[in-house]
Amino acid sequence: MSLLKAEGLFKSFGKTHALDGADISIRAGEVVAVMGPSGSGKSTLLHCIAGILPPDKGTVHYSGQDLTAMNDSKRSELRRTEFGFVFQFGQLVPELTCLENVALPLRLSGMKRKDAERASRDWLARLEVDGVADQRPGETSGGQGQRVAVARALVTRPKVIFADEPTGALDSLNGERVMHLLTTAARETGAAVVLVTHEPRVAAYSDREVVVRDGRSRDVEFAR
Amino acid sequence: MNRVMSDLALGVRLAVGGSRKSWARLALQGVGIGLGVALLLFAASLPSVMEARDDRQDARNPVTEGAGPAPLLAIEQGHPFRSEYIRGSYLKARSPEAPVPPGIDRVPGDGEIFVSPALAALLDAPGGELLKPRFPQKVIGTIGQAGLQNPNELHFYAGDAKIQEEPDGNTVYGWGVPNDGGGLNPVLWLLSVVGLVVLLFPVLVFVGVATRLAAAQRDRRLAALRLVGAAASRVRLIASGEALAGALAGLVVGFGIFFAVRPSVNGISIAELSTFSSDVMPAPALTVTVVVAVPVLAVVTSLVAMRRTIIEPLGVVRDQKPVRRRLWWRLVPVAAGVALLVSQIGELSATARPDPWPVVTGIVLLMLGIPVLLPWLVERVVFTVRGGSPALQLAVRRLQLDSGTAARVVGGVAVVLAGTVTLQMTLAGVEQDVRTNEEKEASFSYLTINPDPAVDPGAITAALEKTAGVDGVHEIGRTFGELNSGEYVVVTIASCEALRSQATVPDCVDGKAYVVPFSNGLVEAKAGDVLTIKKSGERWTVPAVETVEGTRPGLVVTPAAARGLRAEQFELIAVLDGAVPDVAEHTRNALAAYPWQMHTYFVGQDDTNEAERVFGVIRRALLAGSLLTLLVAAGSLLVVALEQVRERRRPLAVMAASGVPRGTLARSLLWQNALPLAISTVVSLATGIGLGVLVMRVSGSSVAFDWAGIGLVTAVVVGLTLAVTALTLPSLRRATGALGLRTE
Amino acid sequence: MSIGHALLGLLEGGPRHGYDLKRSYDERFGQDRPLHYGQVYSTLSRLLKNGLVTEAGVEAGDGPERKRYAITDAGVTDVERWLSTPEKPEPYLQNTLYAKVVLALLSGRSATEVLDAQRAAHLTTMRELTKRKVDGDLADQLICDFALFHLEADLRWLELTAARLDQLAVEVTR
Repeated sequence: MSLLKAEGLFKSFGKTHALDGADISIRAGEVVAVMGPSGSGKSTLLHCIAGILPPDKGTVHYSGQDLTAMNDSKRSELRRTEFGFVFQFGQLVPELTCLENVALPLRLSGMKRKDAERASRDWLARLEVDGVADQRPGETSGGQGQRVAVARALVTRPKVIFADEPTGALDSLNGERVMHLLTTAARETGAAVVLVTHEPRVAAYSDREVVVRDGRSRDVEFAR
Repeated sequence: MNRVMSDLALGVRLAVGGSRKSWARLALQGVGIGLGVALLLFAASLPSVMEARDDRQDARNPVTEGAGPAPLLAIEQGHPFRSEYIRGSYLKARSPEAPVPPGIDRVPGDGEIFVSPALAALLDAPGGELLKPRFPQKVIGTIGQAGLQNPNELHFYAGDAKIQEEPDGNTVYGWGVPNDGGGLNPVLWLLSVVGLVVLLFPVLVFVGVATRLAAAQRDRRLAALRLVGAAASRVRLIASGEALAGALAGLVVGFGIFFAVRPSVNGISIAELSTFSSDVMPAPALTVTVVVAVPVLAVVTSLVAMRRTIIEPLGVVRDQKPVRRRLWWRLVPVAAGVALLVSQIGELSATARPDPWPVVTGIVLLMLGIPVLLPWLVERVVFTVRGGSPALQLAVRRLQLDSGTAARVVGGVAVVLAGTVTLQMTLAGVEQDVRTNEEKEASFSYLTINPDPAVDPGAITAALEKTAGVDGVHEIGRTFGELNSGEYVVVTIASCEALRSQATVPDCVDGKAYVVPFSNGLVEAKAGDVLTIKKSGERWTVPAVETVEGTRPGLVVTPAAARGLRAEQFELIAVLDGAVPDVAEHTRNALAAYPWQMHTYFVGQDDTNEAERVFGVIRRALLAGSLLTLLVAAGSLLVVALEQVRERRRPLAVMAASGVPRGTLARSLLWQNALPLAISTVVSLATGIGLGVLVMRVSGSSVAFDWAGIGLVTAVVVGLTLAVTALTLPSLRRATGALGLRTE
Repeated sequence: MSIGHALLGLLEGGPRHGYDLKRSYDERFGQDRPLHYGQVYSTLSRLLKNGLVTEAGVEAGDGPERKRYAITDAGVTDVERWLSTPEKPEPYLQNTLYAKVVLALLSGRSATEVLDAQRAAHLTTMRELTKRKVDGDLADQLICDFALFHLEADLRWLELTAARLDQLAVEVTR
């Protein structure tokens, strides 16, 4: 039984066909690597199934709801409450401290500042970056920043975490550390992870992979 | 030195050369600075305008003394017509060599008249027939520019053979005598000084802001220069070169605007404000000052702004821990300004001008204090804000990192606001005084006639009584004296019947005496005071007086109480029926047979409206000016806001992707714009009101608050905040689209 | 690298002489190490014995080079199975994988599927290694990382090849 299932996605930007009939299916709690050469449509696929970008054609179902039928604010709310996001870089708000960055999604969901920051501090500790809680992202190293981002993605206990090249800007050691912490934490909280990457060693942290090529995806699970 | 020049040149080339964007930026700067320069040039022309005006006024002053019999007799006369006042001279040439006044080609003969173009237009306009009876002469030409102060002046030269030489000197031997004295009313003078400073100061602030337009982009470019090995000092020079390019473009545009607009100043017709285009010539010294000061200001602003923006080879470092601003030196200008103004309180009496420099310097310092103080204040407030919604938190944190840019922009807004509030208050104060007088007069309706002693009062009375709308004619006497305190007092001697027409005296009986206080409540004489009569030097003790409302401040005495007083002047009062339209003008026309033998003054309802109209015009002009400046400031704020969105495109896109509602992001932008503006509004209202009170104290007029105006300007500021935020939204929407997530 | 499967694949295009087969093979796969005639004939006779090829006529004259060979149905099935079975992930697979890709292209089969199957096999092994690494001590981590980096190199080659399949197809079928 899939938690998130997208069928026949088409999406073009001008004359470029980023997605050309892509399918994907994600089951609860599994880690799926989305692989493929650059420009193959991996990121667009992620944006579409995460409800960031509405596809031109096709459907995206998340636990029984059709994302493509939702309006922007409804999708926003879904992303805020059910999904978590980790990007390659530049995702932390530069003005806020790391702690405030992690607390932001909780506060947006109406949690009191104190409670939100207490919960966030726990997550920072879990990702071994509680030392930078009161610094601004600009003052931390790349690896620390990505861990803070992972903490922010996990703090709302989402059902799905979308990670787009989360280690793209990191060296091997830091990259592996982030992947280890991300997948371990996701497995502990039962979150599924959709991991867009072109690095095989990063993809090796997944349970299975989906290959995207020329806007079409090859998902073995989907056929089943 | 050579290298300095070449670095500057490189900066200029960077500003000019290259992409369409750099041209667009240069054009923006050019227009921005150009507007300021044009304004400055017009301001620099004020001395020449005033001078030309004074020169022409001097040129038409008669030379009253000379050898031999005077070749020309002239009587200056003013004719009130509704709310206008028509000045001119009645002339009688006694020799062919009679000197011709400036602006006309000969002395008009009996029954001939030269009129100014404005007077000609007034006579031809609808309603002009009401004025015609007073100018029955044959129009033989119009007065040229040489004989007029301003294009809209109502002026005439009429020939009249009936003029007789008089002992107090209506003889004319020539034209052109410098005349000191007169000039601007001190309160008006102070108003103009405040107005000039207030309007020009934001121009300077704006020139500074315009120099920093698109600064982030430029900083990135300069960072690239650092990367190829330019030292920080050279980068500063290059940046100065860029600022210089903008300033020079601004100067060119400014002079262009100035000369393009100059020909149309003839058309501006706010009463005394109109001027001849050819008079608008910027003073050379001031022009040089503008030409030098604008580029210097641009370069200095640019360098000061970069003081904290350390340009590093790899992009611009902005994330450094902000340096806390220090307070003490920022307080110096404000404190000095207040001290100077306080020291001038009461210096401005009804007639004397105070030394202008302490007042002007005080005002300038106080105005300067605002933009200097604001960054500190914004920072202080921003650092004390705790808690609040996520939107507020985002805005506050952003401002904590860089409040300087926003504070600089709103500094310009604040100066405009403070200045407008000050001017409005000062205006309201003056208006209140005028209005109190007018309102007092409004409940009466009469025309006073001061005839020449040679005219037979009986003939006048007869003419008046024949006129429709004249309910009665009374004669009153006047004399003038000085109290022990040195106070100058007008004493009116009138019967109860005559008195009722100009004061509220319901229980008047002969033998009573009254005092009519000044509009500011000052009662000038009380029983027992000793009055020294001006002309005779006789002494007269003031009897018991009742304080009453009336149109003319001073003592009013019934004949029985006036024993020991002799009237020096006689005056006729024609009581008019206010229900008859234009009754005053008809009455004056009835006296047209005595064109220069009498002065008339109408007390009635019209003038309140007129005062309202004049003040309305001034207020609207002021409001329009400040709104324009606010718009320009809002424009700069928009540029800053757009740049900030651009700069933070990625975090914004990621936040939107992670489900942060756009509303939250929009609200954080709103807070980010609103916080500095709110602070600056409070500061400028406080400064404006404080400055207004100080200025009014200096000028000795009563303190009044123009809450409607203050409210309006504040509302405009709020509206502009919303508008700027709203205009930022499309770019926010673009930034938060999924495309913003793309890595470049 | 299985010469038998390669020859079978080449025969799918139509019956050929042994000498032709050697030439085609050398052209495509034998840049470094051309086949000996002996290798060709011994392989062909093994395939003949297993019923994967048949003799498709003899031309006049004598000698093995006069015989033409054709692939049998069993031979086709064998090629298919070989292509669709990913190689055991281990270093220095390039020769075999390259041959598979070229033969798939020559025979009109999907080379992408060959590559994807191989990628899946590689990733599976990498996952196991990653698991061992995460659970193991430093020595385990270093050993696993060594293997992981090599497998990653293979995988990168697979991706690169996949991206250049169109170009390759033009070249081999020319």
